[in-house]
Amino acid sequence: MRIRRPRRSPTVSVNAMSDIAFLLLIFIMLISLLNYREEEPIDYPEAALTEITQGDRNFEIWILRDGTMIVHGNALPLNAIEGMIADAVAADPSVRIHLLADRSTPYRHVADVIEVLQFLQHRVVSLVVSDTGGAR
Amino acid sequence: MIRIRTRRRDRVDVADSGALSDIAFLLIIFFIVIAVFNVNSGFLLELPRRNSVTTINVDDLMRVAVRADNSIELDGQSVTREQLSQAVLARRRRQPNMTLVVTIHPDAWYQSLVSMVEVARLRDVDNFSFRMENP
Repeated sequence: MRIRRPRRSPTVSVNAMSDIAFLLLIFIMLISLLNYREEEPIDYPEAALTEITQGDRNFEIWILRDGTMIVHGNALPLNAIEGMIADAVAADPSVRIHLLADRSTPYRHVADVIEVLQFLQHRVVSLVVSDTGGAR
Repeated sequence: MIRIRTRRRDRVDVADSGALSDIAFLLIIFFIVIAVFNVNSGFLLELPRRNSVTTINVDDLMRVAVRADNSIELDGQSVTREQLSQAVLARRRRQPNMTLVVTIHPDAWYQSLVSMVEVARLRDVDNFSFRMENP
């Protein structure tokens, strides 16, 4: 006599999928907030042979084509930026200063910031450019 | 009484359907893209001390000027970026301790400075100096 045993196929509850999707959504939103960066509309200068200049802590100074200087999303005069750099360096001497200037920005505006950095004895600066990927 | 036997719909196994692996793959791509977008790349410069003085042999100096119209001038002659790069290479072969001194006009584009730094890096120039031309 054959005894027929009911076959049960293993299943995953579909109800849990919505919970997983919701948790993933929250996770992605949080990660996006952590990586949030106030990007200014600049045309990056181009160069090859670039290196990754990102530090553990970074301080970004944006310089627009008309010489407007922006830090943390606020357009500020140079003396205010000088104070902010001094505070950032005092809080963490290893902070990396990044200059993100439009490629057609007159050099005098960039020179002003470099002069401030030299005045503050902060000697390492990162010139952020767009890598064209050229070879030697 | 007639029993109508309804066919039970087969359950779809989510794990076997491949949807989870698709989601995981898309998430990996998403995080890689996010990570790449937020990394600055460029040139790391060590600025000299303010008002610091360095003694350099005059013969080792190679003076380059960037004009207001972003043209490059080497020894009084206009050159292209490529020509400058070749000239720096030739000079460095003759004088390994050469110093590239770049004077940039205040109205020249920032791209000019970046291009000069790029040439110095490309040709392994150890001593590189740039300053703004007095208006």
